[in-house]
Amino acid sequence: MIAAFKRLKASRGVGKFCRNRLAVAALGIIVLYALVGGWVALGDLLPGRAGITYAQVEQPVWPTPINGFGIPATNERRVEAARIITREVKRAVNNGEGFTDIRYGLLHILPGTADSDSELDRLSTLIEESEDLYDQLSEFDDLNSPEPPTLDDGAPDPDSIDVPSTIARLEGAVRQMFAPLSGWQSLKQSLLHSLGTDRQGRSNFLRVIFSIKVALQVGIVVAIISVLVGTFLGAAAAYFGGWVDHAVVWLYSTLSSMPELILLAVLVYAFSGSVFDKVSNPWLALVPVYAAMCMEFWIGPCRVIRGETLKLKELEYVQAATAIGFGRFYILLKHVIPNTVHLMFINFSLLFIAAIKFEVVLSFLGLGVKVGPSWGRMIQESTQEVINGIFWQIGAATVFMFVLVLAFNIVSDALQDAFDPKHVG
Amino acid sequence: MWSYVARRLLYSIPVYLGIILIMMGALRLRDPVSAYLGKNATAETALLKKASMGLDRPFLPIGIEDPAEPFGIEPIVEVGRVGFYPPLRTQYVEFLWRILRFDFGTAERPYRSWQFESDNVGAKLADAVWPTLKITIPALVLTATIAILVGLLSAAYRGSVLDKTLMVLVVLGMSISVVVFIVLGQVFGSSWLNGKLGFELFASNGYEPGIQNWVKYCALPVIIGVVVGMGYDARFYRAVMVEETSRDYITTAVAKGAPRHKIIFVHMLKNAMIPVITRIMITIPFLITGSIVMEYQFRIPGMGKLLIDAIVNKDFPIIQTFTAVLAGLFILTNILTDVLYALVDPRVRLA
Amino acid sequence: MMRRPRSSTTCSLLAGAVGLLVAMLALSPVAAQSTGEKFARLPIRSDGPKSLDPAKGSTSYDNQVVCQIYETLLQYKYLVRPDSVTSYEDVSEPLLLAEMPKVSDEADGKQVWKFKLRDDVFFHDDACFPGGKGRKLATDDVFYSWKRLADPKYEYENYWLLQDTILGLDEFKEKFATRQPSKSEPNPPPPPPFDYAAPVEGFRKLSDTEFEVILKKSVVRFGWVISMFQTSIVAREAVEKYGDTLGKHPVGTGPFILKNESDWKPGQNMILHRNPNYRTELYPSEATPKEKEQGLLASAGQKLPLLDRIELTFYTPDPVMWQDFQDRKIALVQVPAEYFEKAFVKRTKRLTKEYSDNGIQAEAVPLLDFIFRGFNMEDPILGGYDEKRTKIRQAISLAVDLDEHNDTFYNGINVVYDGPIPPPLDGFPKNGKAPNSFRGPNLRKARELLAEAGYPEGRGLPEIEYYTSKGSNQAEQTQAEIRQLARIGIRLNPKMVDFSELIEAINQKKAQMFGFAWGSDYPDPENNLALFYSRNKAPGANHYNYDRPEFDKLYEQIIVMKPGPERTSIIEQMRDMVIADVPFVGSMARTRFYLAHPFLKNFKPSEDFYNWFKYLDVDASAPR
Repeated sequence: MIAAFKRLKASRGVGKFCRNRLAVAALGIIVLYALVGGWVALGDLLPGRAGITYAQVEQPVWPTPINGFGIPATNERRVEAARIITREVKRAVNNGEGFTDIRYGLLHILPGTADSDSELDRLSTLIEESEDLYDQLSEFDDLNSPEPPTLDDGAPDPDSIDVPSTIARLEGAVRQMFAPLSGWQSLKQSLLHSLGTDRQGRSNFLRVIFSIKVALQVGIVVAIISVLVGTFLGAAAAYFGGWVDHAVVWLYSTLSSMPELILLAVLVYAFSGSVFDKVSNPWLALVPVYAAMCMEFWIGPCRVIRGETLKLKELEYVQAATAIGFGRFYILLKHVIPNTVHLMFINFSLLFIAAIKFEVVLSFLGLGVKVGPSWGRMIQESTQEVINGIFWQIGAATVFMFVLVLAFNIVSDALQDAFDPKHVG
Repeated sequence: MWSYVARRLLYSIPVYLGIILIMMGALRLRDPVSAYLGKNATAETALLKKASMGLDRPFLPIGIEDPAEPFGIEPIVEVGRVGFYPPLRTQYVEFLWRILRFDFGTAERPYRSWQFESDNVGAKLADAVWPTLKITIPALVLTATIAILVGLLSAAYRGSVLDKTLMVLVVLGMSISVVVFIVLGQVFGSSWLNGKLGFELFASNGYEPGIQNWVKYCALPVIIGVVVGMGYDARFYRAVMVEETSRDYITTAVAKGAPRHKIIFVHMLKNAMIPVITRIMITIPFLITGSIVMEYQFRIPGMGKLLIDAIVNKDFPIIQTFTAVLAGLFILTNILTDVLYALVDPRVRLA
Repeated sequence: MMRRPRSSTTCSLLAGAVGLLVAMLALSPVAAQSTGEKFARLPIRSDGPKSLDPAKGSTSYDNQVVCQIYETLLQYKYLVRPDSVTSYEDVSEPLLLAEMPKVSDEADGKQVWKFKLRDDVFFHDDACFPGGKGRKLATDDVFYSWKRLADPKYEYENYWLLQDTILGLDEFKEKFATRQPSKSEPNPPPPPPFDYAAPVEGFRKLSDTEFEVILKKSVVRFGWVISMFQTSIVAREAVEKYGDTLGKHPVGTGPFILKNESDWKPGQNMILHRNPNYRTELYPSEATPKEKEQGLLASAGQKLPLLDRIELTFYTPDPVMWQDFQDRKIALVQVPAEYFEKAFVKRTKRLTKEYSDNGIQAEAVPLLDFIFRGFNMEDPILGGYDEKRTKIRQAISLAVDLDEHNDTFYNGINVVYDGPIPPPLDGFPKNGKAPNSFRGPNLRKARELLAEAGYPEGRGLPEIEYYTSKGSNQAEQTQAEIRQLARIGIRLNPKMVDFSELIEAINQKKAQMFGFAWGSDYPDPENNLALFYSRNKAPGANHYNYDRPEFDKLYEQIIVMKPGPERTSIIEQMRDMVIADVPFVGSMARTRFYLAHPFLKNFKPSEDFYNWFKYLDVDASAPR
């Protein structure tokens, strides 16, 4: 195998690929994604020290949905956020729970405050102030377009409060409950808020970054397994012929005669609830999806490699190896399969794109990733937001996915041009 | 040639049996009866339902000595003595027998729709075909036409700005997920556009029969289908056309001074027709499956929606029948394509 | 606001398209609609019923349609709805009956219900009757319809309603039931064919309009059951003529009829016409002062139904339903959660200025809902009644924050409460807070209990398999629960499955913990407490497999106990028993907000019963 790679490296195709500047740039983008994905994955290995963990991504960074790119929230949303924070802090004070659980991104209540009476008093004052301001605002039906209350004769009530300044005071009181952020911290906080949040207040930025790992995981696992299985079965079928060939062709004819989404849906149904359906384990979570996709995706490489092997089989060096008396498995592994490496690469790249795109469709239909972020789930969850004009989540997921898929499309085109120029389609 | 067709048909039989076996078998890994139990169900009701759905019978005609095996339940239907099941009464064989007789509209419970009782599966599928075709046929025609045109232009002006622009657009379209097109299409193509226009041009989803409602309910899915599907086709056709441009007859035609548009639209197109037709032929069975995502999201009561609903509701008769019909169609089209291919292109021989 | 002004910058291309569209619309039958008949299109937020046969129905979607066509002996009052309910007499009034049933207790514990049918009730005209003329309703029809529930042909779907109630009916059912093979009888003889003529001891016919039903004991539920749609009265002729297709060809006595089978397009819509032979049934003329003020007495004394034709449109995607309401295509709408903030201010739950200025009517309908996260009490890790396992469940309950769910996913309009009994029923704790509440969040207490159970910070406690159905925002809710429980160190392994698979997992006792909801079949706390009765274990409604003999004993007591303070105190005792054992984390009851256009009259929606479409009216003069 290693020899095959060396041969490949020296081949004309690699040089041709390297001369395609666009393709090299695209490869660079893919490497960048891979680095980010790899760093995120570190979170599973060294939780707390590096990478991003699932639990971190799930933490709300604000109690209410917020807009991306610093677009200000409506008055109603601002007041609601203040109300929820006040409620949480008050509960913690009353239950004597400590404040480690109240945390929005980097905003948190100073550690140790739970023990200090003066701090508790300070918080209680702030809670009272916040509740009082909230009550004052309740005389307005709609704070987004506040109409000053009127007296009986229709004239505006002179005692009525000023809405913008009251909301500002309310927010000020709430902000004082938390420890102040240093410059670096507030930069990080605004990064978390940069792409807005979903309705649970989770950071779209963090979710979209975490999803890179999920996408790469699905793409790599599915593409590698499919290509290896497809190559081996295809090469074996063509090389051995006879019943092996019949069996392999029967299998892929059968599987490919069923509409793929039905097959996938039925397979996911059959797999779900099995021991592999362990969503909470980052390594096992996607097994039903992998299995269902691999079942379908090995067919493509299998067909191509079978066709190629039929040609290779007739070539002199294979004939010669057979004549010398090498074992048939040896020839298959040593002389046939290594000569299909370029096809394996092209297929890998095509299947990688297919897998990523399919994950999105499956998740969208509720068959793929079920819990935890993925681009498909983000798009699915955003369907309820877009009708209210909130595009942050779907926008982020789409852009991040688009760039990766585009890069892969360019690379696989270049690969095809370089190694398999006669191929059509 | 007829012997070739006969051989292919014969060879398709194990494939077909395998399709039905895999589908029915995979479905029966789980027990669907729970899906049909009401709020205050009893074990008695569950057993009666299982029997009326035919799930108490063995699946395969093997091991009929112990009929309780496949599902681990006692048989309720009394057939002579306990423990004997005629093979024809096993679920797999009986369903095959029905396919053989084209009997999809039977009045027996195990083969009626489970979800909508007393509904005939054959009729349900037949009802769903039309809405699907109203989307897939225009989408196919438009996609093919536009893609061939783009392919032709790109190939004819290979390397030009036009070629590059078209190909970039095509790759851009391919790199965005279909679900994004759908979600945004519904928002901008429907709610937003209707707001701007002041009347409802495209509905965000739903369906009404009648050709006068076509624009309202079907046009948007068709447009999205074209945008999504066009990329792959256009690139394929371009590659085909590029190959054609290097052929001798084109060189000859150019040398003889034939006008460029004539070369493109007459000579090249004619000779590139074989791969084009093949590609279109292959997609024909998928005209009937429709796009599941599209129908699901636009709520068009076509085959795709019917199917995904059936999967969600564990309506086995519909899933099975659908697969049986579609797989049959798929196999037949494949054979037909190969035969046509041989008829059109003398270089291909049927072996 | 509802109709946006047409943009003035319509380019010529669009104008062409418009012309084409207008021409197309002119051809369509929908456009021709000015016959002067009163018509309203009403939404049903589902795929609609699966069958219109009352004996087969069980969901509220079946109910919504069936009760327009078929009728029961009693019905719920449309106006003057009581604030609190103790007995069926508080909310019911006669529908097919001439008067409320007379109930008398016998010395041997039996109870006799004496019914008198109205004399002017006829079935719909249908080909199944001689001459196609609807026959008069008679006593035998009632007995026939109820015996159907015991017919194995209908798989006992609704037999639970009459089980253990009417004297001799259980024996009647057993006579025709298939016996399961057993050790002593491996080949039981097949049952005799079902015979409707076979007598039932408890059915006593006095005349064609008068009859008595003898109950084994004084079953309180029976008063509710006779207004439930599953016990609607059907015509024997229709059942015999249409057989399995009766579900598509209903023949009842109700205010509306399904004229042709083609009027029902499953999953799309159904057109119902006024029953031309409907007896003289009048719009109620009593109302509370508030109802009077709302103008709900405008139609008092008029003959029902007020509309000539209703079209029920089935909507599974909420956006279409919402858009159709904006376009005035449907007269009323349930406000889907994601649109709530378009019509209401979340903070005040009042209509936005835009909506109230347009005369939109809004009604909040509290549902008899019990939304919970259940535990399988037979599970080796979480189940059981010993202190250790109970403390784990209590800790979980204390870590879940239902207020957050309410705020994030339900716009804060739900009622969060303790115990299994929703407002306004007996046994609903005051302000929703029971004395021995384990409702979260109280993380300190949760951590303490978890440590006492031997799992400090959740260490050593295996992952919990948590089943929920997927759909709408279930995945998001589950993620919120995972996060909430992670705070005290409990890990969930969520299994997001189709609803049918959820039921499967619960019935097979596979689900350690599961998200579920129960809508009361009738407004008596007994219906909710039945969820904890050990005889209803899976696959019955006792999904928790809760099993406490002392609870069962109390439950058997309240079944036959007259409503009153004594019964209420037992109910509270049962509620507190369940709260202490924590077989579920809960609870939440939804409030549904309805909107209606100003042209819709007599708008007072309810989800406790659905036959109120006959009271609706439209103002034909108002702009549509």
